[in-house]
Amino acid sequence: MSDTASASHDEHHNLIVDNKKLLMWLFLGSDCMFFGTLISTHLIYRKLYPEAYDPLTVFSLELTSFSTFILLMSSFLMALAVSAMHKGQIKSFRRNVIGVIFFGLIFLACQVYEFAHFVHEGLTLSTTTFGSTFFVMTGTHGVHVAIGIFWLICMYFYSHTGKMDVHESAVDVEVAGLYWHFVDIVWIIIFTAVYLIEYI
Amino acid sequence: MSSTITETHTTIEHGQPHVLKPERSNLGLMRPDHSKSVIVDWLTTVDHKKIGIMYGALALFFFIVGGIEALIIRAQLFVPENTLISAQTYNQMFTMHGTTMIFLAVMPLSSAFFNFLVPLQIGARDVAFPRLNTFSLWTFVAGAIILNVSWLFQAAHALGWFTPGGSAAGMTDMVPAGGWFGYAPLNAAEFTGIGTDFWVLGLQVLGVASLAASMNFIVTIINMRAPGMKMMRMPVFTWMTLITSFLIIFAFPAITIALAELMFDRNFGTNFFRVSEGGQPILWQHLFWVFGHPEVYILILPAMGIVSEILPAFSKKPLFGYSIVVFSGAVIGFLGFAVWSHHMFTTGLGKVATAAFSLLTMAIAVPTGVKIFNWIGTLWGGRVRFTAPMIFSLGFVWMFMMGGFSGIMHSSAPADAQQQDSYFVIAHFHYVLIGGSVLALIAGIYFWLPKVFGKMWVGKLNNWVALVIVIGLNVTFFPMHFLGLIGMPRRTHTYLSGFGWDTYNMICTIGAFTLAFGILLFLIDIYRCVKKGEPAGNDPWDARTLEWQTSSPVKVYNFAKTPIITARDALWEHKYGAENRKITYEKEDGHGIHMPSQSWFPLIASSGFIFVGIGMTMRHAGVAYMGYVAIFGLLVLGLGIALWALEGPGGYHLHPKEDAES
Amino acid sequence: MSDPDYAPLPVSPDTDHSEENERYHTFVNLALALSAVTGIELVLVYLPLNSIFITTVLIALSVFKFIAVIAWFMHLIYDKLLLTLVFGAGLAIATGTVIALMLVMSRSYVDFDAITAF
Repeated sequence: MSDTASASHDEHHNLIVDNKKLLMWLFLGSDCMFFGTLISTHLIYRKLYPEAYDPLTVFSLELTSFSTFILLMSSFLMALAVSAMHKGQIKSFRRNVIGVIFFGLIFLACQVYEFAHFVHEGLTLSTTTFGSTFFVMTGTHGVHVAIGIFWLICMYFYSHTGKMDVHESAVDVEVAGLYWHFVDIVWIIIFTAVYLIEYI
Repeated sequence: MSSTITETHTTIEHGQPHVLKPERSNLGLMRPDHSKSVIVDWLTTVDHKKIGIMYGALALFFFIVGGIEALIIRAQLFVPENTLISAQTYNQMFTMHGTTMIFLAVMPLSSAFFNFLVPLQIGARDVAFPRLNTFSLWTFVAGAIILNVSWLFQAAHALGWFTPGGSAAGMTDMVPAGGWFGYAPLNAAEFTGIGTDFWVLGLQVLGVASLAASMNFIVTIINMRAPGMKMMRMPVFTWMTLITSFLIIFAFPAITIALAELMFDRNFGTNFFRVSEGGQPILWQHLFWVFGHPEVYILILPAMGIVSEILPAFSKKPLFGYSIVVFSGAVIGFLGFAVWSHHMFTTGLGKVATAAFSLLTMAIAVPTGVKIFNWIGTLWGGRVRFTAPMIFSLGFVWMFMMGGFSGIMHSSAPADAQQQDSYFVIAHFHYVLIGGSVLALIAGIYFWLPKVFGKMWVGKLNNWVALVIVIGLNVTFFPMHFLGLIGMPRRTHTYLSGFGWDTYNMICTIGAFTLAFGILLFLIDIYRCVKKGEPAGNDPWDARTLEWQTSSPVKVYNFAKTPIITARDALWEHKYGAENRKITYEKEDGHGIHMPSQSWFPLIASSGFIFVGIGMTMRHAGVAYMGYVAIFGLLVLGLGIALWALEGPGGYHLHPKEDAES
Repeated sequence: MSDPDYAPLPVSPDTDHSEENERYHTFVNLALALSAVTGIELVLVYLPLNSIFITTVLIALSVFKFIAVIAWFMHLIYDKLLLTLVFGAGLAIATGTVIALMLVMSRSYVDFDAITAF
């Protein structure tokens, strides 16, 4: 791509934040608005109708805290994976990425279990405004996690093909890491604003 | 086009001259570079100039489509109690007119300018992510198809070939009929048919295209400027592109969510806007206008950027107060996020909210006014040449100002209580959109088309174009101010005689057809230029910015050698400025110019959206297996993106002869 | 994903990876801190304290977790200011919009007669 060939010329006069990194941060800034409006829909309806549904009848704070912890740990492993790639240690990178994928899958499994439990208890997409906002919001987050897992799986297999040059791919891994961490911090907000708030 | 260039293979055999052959990508497939087929070349191009031309051509096409929809509206309203079209068809006309003009005409036409000009104005060879740029174009096409294929379904329905079943049974609207703003729950599944689904999905897809393109341009402008092209030396048009792109990436998510919530309500039984379950219709209005207001600044800022280039060029003076103009643009962009509820003054928000939004709306007039004073300051004392672009830019300043005045009248909530939902609003936004955006975009076409195609304009038809369009604009929309104040509401397919509206409506319709005639003359002028124009040369207007240093039409690699910039208005300083302000060039390193490879995958990925859009809509209409078609579309999208990532960027090198531009 | 002509960006050579190793330790500490904070949150909601106090502490802890992940795991503190500004702009606009919407939407405007579900 044109940026790469001229990078050696442009170093001394451009801002030079790597193109892909800047692109991902722009995307994350945009995604803030995306999740912001989605979460605000939920919060608005909770403010308007606290009586519409009592989530404490179905919420299991232990399960959700566990899945939050799992996601935080996956973020930690992702940071280690990025760090390993910067140092050129592909094997360490692979181990950490497998960890991230594994923890991510556990998180998704907890979500699926939780959703199934809620539906079994009668809380569905159509249950007043609460069911609608809750499932669409956490479902959207879940889809983001799933896309991240798919991306990391692809990256894991790509690392075995031998085409992954540690210097050039460090940026790609870092960009995937940024996406993963963002998905984590969105969950931090959802955990507080959607689950913990209901217990006070 | 490349007769004076020798092209070399890249990658492994570095610097070994070769007859040009396409390479295999990392996937082992042939890259579509150097194709002999014109169609393949244009379908797989990643060249920002070709992409810009395609955006422009499509935008002009949809401008005509939207214009015809407007003429049908005006024809229906020519006399009271007219029966030209039914009420439902009328609703479809104003819905599609608005949606088409905003999303398929003005925005893509702005995009055409972004694409063609920004890399040239900053001295770059292409955008930061060329394949992503192509993806934006074809995704735009997919969205346009989803929206307009609805017409085919409506025609099929009229002929009795298609009757929707499922949740849409009994509904007769295949074309969107809910207004361009789609107020939920009026367009819930109980009240509208698949027209709304086409609208929701079409807009979602168009949103993806805009988001991707904007992120691309921000990275390009920040990262890929030529040496010495500091931010405050960039042309104002590039600045406006940057600000508009930020507006897009922060505003579109709001409508994405609103549309998604509406889609879930219609198709999956959620209650976001279902009143009996607690849904609040006002929430739709908030979410839509959180997007909708920044959207109108997205429509006008590029136009302001164009005018800020043209006025200095034809006054032979630099833009008056460059820094302030740039800063005002940024302030308009930022404040644009804080004023959305001025579209909702009559919804009963409460005193505090209404007052707050009213004040902020008045505040946003200040930077806009500052820009107008600066444009006038540019003209003052200059040696003004009344060329075609200049005439339209001057028209912009005047007509946009008129639209701004009626806008300020709206900002006062008590006054707006009378004006809201009346023809007064229609007058306001058509003055700012036609008198503003469209006049400026036409000015831009007159200014830059010689650069794009290398042909100069023929004769003085442009004077007639300007005259007829401005007359048409004013005859159509000026009476609407009065029509609104004496009580004619918007979006009514007919009206009774005896209210005092008849004459006004008749005048407006005559004006509309006049305006249409002016546009027709404009299209004829474009045709004459492209077919019979004299060669334009590099710099036919004696202009000020870097793009005029390239050849006309521009070579595929833009600049033979990377320019080193030393001043604002770089080309002007180079031509007439001091010795130390001239443009110099980087030394070549012998590798040649790196060009990005072309690719099929952005096109393939975008095509998935068509399946998603039509599949989801047909699913709502009860057609069997359509949900799977939508999922298939998502898989095509995903697979297209994955293969796009895996094929690698590739690239090849060109070595232009030394006598290329200097 | 890899371009043969890619010239790596001129970061200061970190061949002994001391910088990365320092960050490794930061990451471990941060992960421990985040786990601890999550545990505190879990306990806090069950304590019989004033609800406004608990809400404030929860929000403060969330803000801490948010900023910590962004600054350290996502490297913002080590990167150019531009990235912080870009993300910050999106965050600021989103936060402003959420707050404005929460303020504007009020129970007093709801027509409860129209709602049949509850």
